[in-house]
Order: sequence, then C-alpha cells, then structure tokens
Amino acid sequence: MADSSIKDKIKYALLKGIDVSGFKVLDPPVRLAFGEEPQKQVRDIAKYMVLPILFVLACLGIWTVMGPNHKTKSGEVPTPAKILTAYEDNKRFDERQEEKASDFIVEGAEREATLAEAEAELARLEAEAARLGELSDEIAAAAKEQMDARIAPLRSELESLKAKHGELEDQREAEMTALAGKVAEKQAEPAELVAMVREHEKIEDAEGATEDVIESRIDEILANPPEEVKEAQMAANRVADEVQHYKKRIAILTNENRNVKEAEYLEKIAKDEAELAAATEPKKVIREAKSIARNAERAESATTQTYPRTATIFWQTKRSLATVFVGFLIAAALAIPIGIMCGLNRIVMACLTPIISIFRPVSPVVWLLIFQIIIGAFFPDPEKHPLFVSLNQDKWFGWLPNPVAFLQTNPAMIFSACTVAMCALWPALVNTALGVSSIDKDHMNVAKVLRLGFWSRLFKIVIPSSLPLVFAGLRISLGVGWMVLIAAEALSSSDGLGKFVWDEYQNGSSQSFANIILACFVVGIIGFFLDRIMIFLQRLVSFDDGSATA
Amino acid sequence: MSFLELDQVSVAFGPAGNRTEVLSDLNLKVAENEFVAVIGFSGSGKSTLINTLSGLEPPSTGEVRMAGRRVTGPGPDRGLMFQNYSLLPWLSVNENVALAVRTAFPRLSKAEVADKVAHYVRMVKLDHAGDKKPHELSGGMRQRASLARTLSLDPQVLLLDEPLSALDALTRSELQDQILNIWETDRRTVVMITNDVDEAVLMADRIIPLTMGPGATLAEEFAVNMARPRDRHTLNDHPEYMRLKSEITSFMMHLNKESKELTAGKVVPMPDIRPRDFSLPSATPRLKPRAQHPTSAA
Repeated sequence: MADSSIKDKIKYALLKGIDVSGFKVLDPPVRLAFGEEPQKQVRDIAKYMVLPILFVLACLGIWTVMGPNHKTKSGEVPTPAKILTAYEDNKRFDERQEEKASDFIVEGAEREATLAEAEAELARLEAEAARLGELSDEIAAAAKEQMDARIAPLRSELESLKAKHGELEDQREAEMTALAGKVAEKQAEPAELVAMVREHEKIEDAEGATEDVIESRIDEILANPPEEVKEAQMAANRVADEVQHYKKRIAILTNENRNVKEAEYLEKIAKDEAELAAATEPKKVIREAKSIARNAERAESATTQTYPRTATIFWQTKRSLATVFVGFLIAAALAIPIGIMCGLNRIVMACLTPIISIFRPVSPVVWLLIFQIIIGAFFPDPEKHPLFVSLNQDKWFGWLPNPVAFLQTNPAMIFSACTVAMCALWPALVNTALGVSSIDKDHMNVAKVLRLGFWSRLFKIVIPSSLPLVFAGLRISLGVGWMVLIAAEALSSSDGLGKFVWDEYQNGSSQSFANIILACFVVGIIGFFLDRIMIFLQRLVSFDDGSATA
Repeated sequence: MSFLELDQVSVAFGPAGNRTEVLSDLNLKVAENEFVAVIGFSGSGKSTLINTLSGLEPPSTGEVRMAGRRVTGPGPDRGLMFQNYSLLPWLSVNENVALAVRTAFPRLSKAEVADKVAHYVRMVKLDHAGDKKPHELSGGMRQRASLARTLSLDPQVLLLDEPLSALDALTRSELQDQILNIWETDRRTVVMITNDVDEAVLMADRIIPLTMGPGATLAEEFAVNMARPRDRHTLNDHPEYMRLKSEITSFMMHLNKESKELTAGKVVPMPDIRPRDFSLPSATPRLKPRAQHPTSAA
C-alpha cells in the first residue's frame, strides 16, 4: 500500500509538472508508464504524438523532394540534410575559434605540448588532404571522361548541323543576290524580294533554335557533374580547411601567443638594459630608456590581450538573447508601473491614452532609426565610455570575473535593446492597465472594510489580483520583442542572429542559403522556449488553476 | 438604548436628472447585542441597505449612527460578511484571515497573529483546510472562511449580507447553527439580510420586512418571542414559530401582490403582428407537410 501511494505521488507530481510547463503532450506516456488505462493512453499517444510526428516527417519529406527542384541565384533550396550539415560546420567553426582563443593564451610547457600535438595532427591531415585531393581529382577526371563521352556525339551532331545550315544559308544568299539583280534591272517586283528576305530570316531563326536545343543539352551535362564528384570535392575541401586551421594554430602557438610576445618584449628590455648600462652618451642613454619604457608597456598590454574571435552563430545567439533580455527588462520596468497607474487612476489613463494610441502602431524600423540617433549622441566615443569599458573589461575590481565581457557590449546593442523595449512595452502596459482596472469590486470592498492604506491595498489586493493578466501581457511582449530584435539586428548590423542572417545573405557563399534556414530554425526554437518559460511563470502566479489565463 | 441607528436614510443612484431612489426614509434602531433580520424580495435593495450600514454606500439623505456617532465610511468595527464570500483567491484561508487580523490589530506580533488566526479558523471548523486556496473549497467552506475573516476583526457589529443564500439546504442549516452558536457564546450586535423566512425566524430577535423597491422602506417589525437556544428539530411544533412564519409569509406575499398591482398599469400591449413567411418555394416534393410557423401559433 505504502509503495503504491509513493508511486501515485510521483505520478501526480510528474503530471502536475507537465501541466504547469504546458507540455500536455507528455501526459499520456507518463500515465501509460504508471499503467493507468493503457488502452486509452495508447490511443491518445497515437492521436496526439505519433500522428503529429508523422505529419512533421511528411513535411520534411516533401521539403527534401521539392527543395532541389527550385534553382535560385544562391543555389538550389537546401534539403534538411544540408541544414544539418550546415549546423555541423557552424559547430566546427565555433570549436576552431575556441581552440585558437585557447592557443592564444596557453603558456609554458603546456604550450609546447599543444604545439607538438598540433604539428603531429597537421602532418596527418596533410597526408589525408593529399590523398583526398588525388581521389577527388581522379573521380573528377573519370566523371569528365564520362561526360565527354556523353557530349561527344552531341558535339559532332551540332557541328554537322551547323555545317549544313551554313551551306543552306549560302544557297539562300545566292538566290537572294540573283533576285536582287533582277529587281535592280526592274525585271522583278521588290515585294517579291522582301518576301524572300522575310522567309530567309524565319528559316534562320528556326535553324538557330534547333542548334540551341543541342547546345543547352551539352550545357546541362556540364553543369551537373555526378553527385560523387561534388561529394569528393567537398570532403577534400573539408580536410583542406582543417589543414588551414592547424597551420593557423601553429602560427598562433609559435608567434602570436600572448605569452610568447611578452617574453619577446622582456628579452628586448633585457638587451636594452644591458646597452643602457654600457652606454656613455646621454643621448644614447635616453634612447635606451625610452625603448625600455615602450617595450615594458607593450609587454604589459600583451598579457591582457585575448584572441579576436570571429562571430559564430552560437555567439550571435547568446548576444541576441542578452539583447532581448535587456530590452524586455526595460519594457517590463516601464510598462508595469505605468500600467498600474493607468489602471488605478482614470485621469492618468486619459492622459496616456493618446500617447499609447499614437506610438503603439509605429513600426520597429522607425524606432530603430530614432534610437540609433539618440543613443549615438550619448556615446560619441564608445570605446572610451566608462559604461562600455566597465561592461567589456575582463575582470571587475581586478579580480571578479566579468560574466558579460564576452558579449562585447556596444551602442548598437543598447539601441537594439531600446527598440525591443519600445515595441514590447505596449502589450504589457495595456494588459497591466486592464488587469488593474478590472479588479473584482468585491475585493476592493474588502480592502475598504479593512481600511487598507494605499500601499497595502496596492501590494495586497491590486497587484496580486492583476498578476495573471500582467504576465499574459509580458508573454506577448517577449514574443514581440524577440521578433522585433531579429529584424532590428538585420537592419542595423548590430551583432546577433539578425546580423548573422543578413551577413549570410550578403556574402553569398555556397552554404549561405543553408545557414539562413538554420538561423530561421534557431530563432524559432528559441522563441518557442521563451514563450514556454513565460507560460510557466504565468501559471505559477495564476490563482485559479490557470484556466482563466491559459 | 439603540446602538446602531438609521435616521431618515434614503439612498439614490443615477445622474441628477434621472435619479432612482432605491431606499427611502428608512428608520431603524438596533439595540446592543441584538440579532435583527431584515427580510425582503430580491431586488428590493437589501444589499444597498447593508452597504449603507457598513458605510460602503453613503446615504443620499439622513444619517447612519453607531454608538451615537455618525458613520462616514467603512471600517473594521462593522464586520461585513459578503454574499459572495469575497475571499482573496490568491491567498489561503489562513492568509485571508491573517490579512484581516493584521489590519485590525496592527500591533500584534507574528506569533500572536498566528494564534488569533488559528483561533478563528478553528471556530468555524476549518482548521483542516487552513492552507487551501478558496478555489479548492466548497461553497459552505468558503462562507465559513469568510465568517472567520469577519469575526477575526472582532467587530462591534456583524453585518451579514445574505450569508447563506448561495448554499444548499443542508450546508445552510449547518452554518445557521454555527453562526447561532458563535453568537450565543460571544454576543454582539448582528444585522442579517435574508430572503428566507424560516432562517429569519430561527435566528433573529426581531424581523423587519423591507418593502418592494424602488423606494423601498422598512415595514412594521415582527418580534420573535421564543426562548433561546432554539432547537430546529422541535421548532416545527412550536405554535409561536408557526404563527410568525405564516404571518410574515402572508405579509410578504401581500407586499409582492401590491407591488405587482402598482406596476400593472404600466403593461404595454404588444401589437398583434404575425411574421411573414419568407421561405423559398420548394421545387422538390416534400414527404411531410411543412410544420406551422412556430411563432404564428404562439
């Protein structure tokens, strides 16, 4: 008995968690696992899990089949498999950045060890790259032979056709010249000659068209080398990329590493010091002293340097999340107090209604430009502005690791966040005002009978009773903010997922299209989880089973 | 000596040009520790009356006095128990009561507040459900929680606004007994609004009918001269109970009839119009003859 009651408790705790988090679809499997009405659960799983999964798979299938049929300027529409490859490549790109950054700061014996390892790996990769390169060349040669074999008959056909057409044309030209002679001697009607010329042009066009058909067939064969050629080429390229990466790593480990640099400067200082000690002329002494000072400064700055990473999609995602979070916080910090004031006082509401009505429909693009100008004026020299200096330094107070240093905060991030805030403000504000003004009259009567003061009325009655609607508004705000942010980043080249998409669109490499679609999924999945988090919070604060605000 | 007093009170709503007087010329004197029931039909202005007594609704003319002093607004000395419980849904039963205790007695320490809360929650027999939220409780339990909250203010006057009208008959009689028990052990002035004659006769010292609105006023009172405690099981054999019940009932029915007669002249005869048949003529033969148009028969 005790055992089954514990089991029941676990089951109901799990079901409650599923209910609160909003993943209702997991309900039947949990019930099935605890053996509750297995037939009904199996039916529910089939209806609400298996069918949707099959549907999504069907959509992916249609995409895989239809995608390659649509040729665009940026290549054909990538299939899901290519998106997955794009993800892998982006991940490897990110890892390489990580490796290079760590190579940049590693020191002492560890550096030597890493260098040795990298060199061994490079040797292996070079051999591999040579092998794959040869293989790819072989395959390409074989494919070319095959294609040549297919093209050769077409070519000879085209040649003979052209020769024939040339002959026929010469014949017609001769006839026309003869007729022209007659016309000149007034032995024939000019109309006859015109008709002949028109006829000649028609025939010429028709002949050109038949030639074009064959030519386009040849072009098609040339443009579509067999899949295995592309695959071999890509495999070879991938290893060649890796070779490049290891070459760069070795360069960093041997030359650019900040500790190596520091050692170099220290060595120079030692040499200068020796020369300074040996020097007798005041001029030389001062020159050496200057050189020592300069090198000391360089050595010092070398110790704090970090590797200048290139932005990867993962870093851009983190930055977008940080930006939307800041914007959302600004929006909430403004919307909730203003909304409460609007809901409590009809005069405040009347005063703010025109402002809300006019600014709410304004496009994010307009806000972006306005904030870009306004924020830009606050930070004429952002590199040296104390706000950004403190946000971007490695350590606070010299010891506390700065958790936001990696974001590389800049004015662009601030005005993107302000744009997000400006657009996300309205749903939260309107909902808060609605929540506060629609408080149950009976609850206000309770407050009156208890003679609650303004603040306890606010915190004990008004805010708790409007919280579900406030959170419903915040949820909409976060969704709006996330959408607005991506557009704002694309437009303003503020680092983030929006910029990633824009850059991919602009640089037009063979993988751009796949990367854009990958970013589309990243944005969508993150938006989904943000919404889930807000639903979860909303259910936590709602006091009537969450049914009223679901 | 009267403790709670209504002196020529009228209450009217609406804009100046079109005011509806809900209550007019009310005079009521309630002695200390007396249990008075006001009985009336729904819509006659009963809740307006209790709101006026509590101070939530200021009278348009006249004044409300308590212990000789004019009432200007609501306060915890007049504990109002609402018809629809009005518990704060985001607080548990204990927290709802604690909110009242803390505002009525701001000087109490945490432990003293907890003691007081526990005391009143036990008094209404809700100690097993103290941590439940209102939506997890039945109607009767909610009303008990509301009673505990009202009592915890330790008010000099209890104003009960149809406290039991939303409950089923069994829960209702159980709560009636509980309220009576509490009142008998800890006497205080009570004004109860009700629409149930039995309930009024069972519980009150005096019963005052409210005439039909608009412009409702208090009619001649009925004194209930029955010893307490009253036993509901033998009450039906009590001649005084039967007499009062039939007298009050017939008085109320008479009031109702009177008010209907008063409004009878206002009946507007409806024009005798039959709806026209706009349905399209059907080309296919019908199996059944078409039914008569429902409204034309009526």
